[in-house]
Amino acid sequence: MIHSVDILLSFVLLSVLFSFGTSRLVVMIRIVAFQGVAAAIAPFFLEHSMSFGGIVFTMSILSIRGIIIPWSIYAVVKKIGIKRALEINVGYNASLFFCLLLIVSAQMLSHKFNLSDFTGSKLIVSAAISLIVAGLFLLMARRNAIVMVLAYIMMENGISLLGAPLSAGAHTIVEFGILLDVLAGVMIMGIMLQSIQNKYVNLDTAQLRKLKE
Amino acid sequence: MDFIFLSILLMVAGTALCLVIHRQFTLMKTTGVLAISAGCLIGLFNSLIQLFHPGTEAFAAAYLHGFSLSFAIDGLSAFFLVIIYFVSFLAALYSFHYLSTPEKALRTGLSYLFFSLLIASMVLVVVAANMITFMLFWEIMSLSSFFLVVYDYEKPENRKAGYLYFVFSHIGAMMLFAAFGLIYGFSGSFGFDGAASLPDWVKIVVFVLAFAGFGSKAGVFPFHVWLPHAHPAAPSHISAVMSGVMIKIGIYGILRVYAVLNDHHPLFGEILVIAGMISGILGVVYALGQQDIKRMLAYSSIENIGIILIGMGIGMMGVSAGNPVMAVLGFAGGLFHVLNHAVFKSLLFMGAGLVIKKTGVHDMDAMGGLMKKMRITGITFLAGSLAISGLPPLNGFVGEFFIYMGGFKGAGMDKLPLILSLMAIISLAVIGGLALACFTRVLGVVFQGEPRSERAAKADEKGPMMLIPMAALAVSCGIIGVFPEVFSLMTIRGVSALNLGYGDIPFSPFLQMTGNISRSAAVFLLLVICVLAVRYFLYQGKSIPRAATWGCGFTRPTVKMQYTGSSYARSIIDFFRPVAYLCENHPPVQGVFPAGTQYSSHVIDIAERYMEVGIVRPVLFFFDKLRWIQQGDIHPYIGYILLAIVLLLFFV
Repeated sequence: MIHSVDILLSFVLLSVLFSFGTSRLVVMIRIVAFQGVAAAIAPFFLEHSMSFGGIVFTMSILSIRGIIIPWSIYAVVKKIGIKRALEINVGYNASLFFCLLLIVSAQMLSHKFNLSDFTGSKLIVSAAISLIVAGLFLLMARRNAIVMVLAYIMMENGISLLGAPLSAGAHTIVEFGILLDVLAGVMIMGIMLQSIQNKYVNLDTAQLRKLKE
Repeated sequence: MDFIFLSILLMVAGTALCLVIHRQFTLMKTTGVLAISAGCLIGLFNSLIQLFHPGTEAFAAAYLHGFSLSFAIDGLSAFFLVIIYFVSFLAALYSFHYLSTPEKALRTGLSYLFFSLLIASMVLVVVAANMITFMLFWEIMSLSSFFLVVYDYEKPENRKAGYLYFVFSHIGAMMLFAAFGLIYGFSGSFGFDGAASLPDWVKIVVFVLAFAGFGSKAGVFPFHVWLPHAHPAAPSHISAVMSGVMIKIGIYGILRVYAVLNDHHPLFGEILVIAGMISGILGVVYALGQQDIKRMLAYSSIENIGIILIGMGIGMMGVSAGNPVMAVLGFAGGLFHVLNHAVFKSLLFMGAGLVIKKTGVHDMDAMGGLMKKMRITGITFLAGSLAISGLPPLNGFVGEFFIYMGGFKGAGMDKLPLILSLMAIISLAVIGGLALACFTRVLGVVFQGEPRSERAAKADEKGPMMLIPMAALAVSCGIIGVFPEVFSLMTIRGVSALNLGYGDIPFSPFLQMTGNISRSAAVFLLLVICVLAVRYFLYQGKSIPRAATWGCGFTRPTVKMQYTGSSYARSIIDFFRPVAYLCENHPPVQGVFPAGTQYSSHVIDIAERYMEVGIVRPVLFFFDKLRWIQQGDIHPYIGYILLAIVLLLFFV
C-alpha cells in the first residue's frame, strides 16, 4: 500500500531533478519553497495522532520554511534584478545525470537505514538523502551566491526530513535546532551576499578566490 | 570533593574578574593573586586532609547526555593535589611582582585566567575517574599552558616554542586517545575499571602507547624536544609550575594507567628503567651544555624525570618479581622525588626568573657576581642547587636514597632485572655527579665571581613578593630533608592507591631509614654550625683583605679573565661527544697582529636533530605535494565534503 506521504515525497524527488536543470532563480526559489513545505508537513502525517499543538507547530514551521524564507530571498532577487544564474562549475546535462544517479543510489541506500518499518513511508529516507546530497552538490556546482543560499536551505530541508522519523516524539527540539541553524546560516549568507555584491558588482563567488593570501 | 570545586570556582571566577578590571593594573594583579592563592590554600588543606584519611571520595555528573564526568580522590590523586596546590600557590604569589609591565595589562589579566585554568585542569585531571573526564581536562591543561607559553608572542622564537609545544602535546594526546580507545574497544566502557580485564597483549600495547603519550608531556627522552624551548619562552612563574608540576601530571598518568591495568608484566618496569636512565643521563649532559639558564633548568627537568622513571621502574620490577620492599621503595622513591623536584625546580625557576628580570639577559656567561647584589636569591638558589644535586641534608637526597635502596634490593634477582637494577644504580650515581657539576657551574658563573656585563653589575633585588615564595621553597627543601618521616608517609599513601596487591605495605624499613636520615642530618647540621662557630672565633680580631674574585694576583684584572661556564663544562661534554656533539664557532688566531676573534658554542640535541631529519622533513615533503588540494575557492571544498559524505553513505 502506498503511504500518503510517499506521493508528496515523490514530487519532492522530481523537484530535485527540476532544480538541477534550471537556471532561473525564481523557479529555484519556488522549488525550495515547495520542498520546505513538504519537509514541514511530512512529519505531521507520519505521527500517529494529531494534536492541537502539533497543528500549530506544523503551521508555524510551514510558514517559516515555505513562505518567509523563500519570500525574503525573492525580495533580494527582485532588488538586485538578476533573473538567471549562469555562473556554473558543472553543466546542466551533467548535473541532471548526476541527479538521476543520486536518486537511484539514495533509494538503494535507504534500505540500510531500516526506518520504513515504523514510519510506513518508503520514500522518506531516500528523499531526505537526495535533498541533502543535492543541496551539497548545488553548493559545489553553482557559483552564484543566491543559488548557493538556496542549495543550503535545500540541504537543511533534507536534514529536517531525515530528523523527523529519527526523533519520533522529540522532533520539536530537532526542528527548532535546525531552524536556528537555517536562520544563522541565511543571515550570514545574507551579509556575505551584500559584501560580495558591494565588492565585485555581481554575485559570482569564484571572485572570492581573489581574497586568498 | 566540594572543596576542590570551591577552590576551582574561586580561582576561575576571580581571574575572570581580572579581565574586567584590567585598566587598574595593581588592583587586577591583587585580585588575580588573591583569587588563585585563596583557591590553592583551600584546595591544599582539603587535599592534605584527604591524603591522611585513607579511602576514596567520588562525584559524578552527566555531561552532554551521553557521557558522565566522574571524579574520585584516592591517595595517589591526593598526593599530586598537594603538590599542584602548593607550587601553584607560591607561583601565584611570585607573579605579583614578576608581571610588572602595565602596558601589557590585558595580557597579564588573560595570563592570570589561563593560569587558573591550568591549575584547575591539572587538579581535575588527577581526580578524573573515567577516560572522557581525563581527556577533557588533559586537553584544557595542554591548551591553557600553550597560551601561557606564548605570553611574549612578539618574539618569533617564543611563537616557535609555543608551536612546538602545541604539536608535541597533541601528538601525545593522540597516543593517549589510541591507548584509551583500545581500553574502550575491549572493555566497552569509558571507566578505568574495565582496563583490568583486557587481554595481556592489549595491556602491553596500551601501556606502551600511554607511556609515549604521557612521556611527551613529562619530557621523557626522546619526546622532550618541546621542553627546552617552551620553558625559556614562558614567564618564570609559569615555567616553575610547568616544570615543577605540569610535567609530573605525565608521571601521574603513567602511574594511573599502570594501576588500572593491574598487570605486573616485567616489561613495564624494564621500559621505564631504560627510558629513565637515558633521559636522566642525556638530560643532565645537555643541561651542562646550555648557556641559557632557563634552558639549562629545562634540561635538568628531563634529568629529574629520568630519576623519577628509574624509581617507578624499579618499583614495577619489584612488583613483578614479588619483592614488596623493593617495589614500595621504588615507587615511594619515585613519588618522593616528584615532590622534591616540584619544590626545588620551582625554586630554581623562580630564582632564574628573578635573575633574568634584573639582568635582562638569558645567557649565564653574561651574568656573574650576583651573590653580592642578590643575596636572598643567591642563597635560595644555592639551597635549590644543593637539593637538586641530591646532597644531604636537603630533600633531593631522601628520594634518591629510597631509589638507591630499591635498586640494591633488586640485587638478589636474576638476569635482566639484576642487570637493570645495577645499571640503574650506576646511572643514578652518574646523574648525581653530573648534576653537581652542572649546578656548581651555574652557581659559580652566575652568582660568584665578578659581574660580566653592565646590567649584571647594576642588578638589585627589589620585589619582596618574589623573594617570599623562594624563601618558603628553600625552607621546605630543608624541612623535607631533615624530617622526611611525615613526607614519606605521604608517598606511602600514594603508593597504597596503586593496587599492588600486597595488602599491608611493609612500613618498618621506611621509618628506620627516614629516622636514620633525620639523625645523620642533625649531626651534619651540628657539624656545620660547629665549623661556622670555629671560623668565627678564629677570625675574631683579624683583618680580612678583600680582592676581586679570581683576581689571580693581577693588579688590573678584567672580567674576561674569569672562567666561563662553557669552558667548565667542556671537558665533561667532550666525554659524551657521540650523543652531545659540541658545535663550536671559533676563528683561529693567526698572524703577527691577529684580528679580533670570538668563541661561541652550542650542544646539539640528538633527539631534536634526528627528529628533524627523520620525521619533520619527510612529513613536510609529503604534505608539500598535497598543496594543490588547497585552492582558496569554496566550491572544491564543498566538493570534498560531498565526496566524503557519499563515500561514508555507501561504505559505512
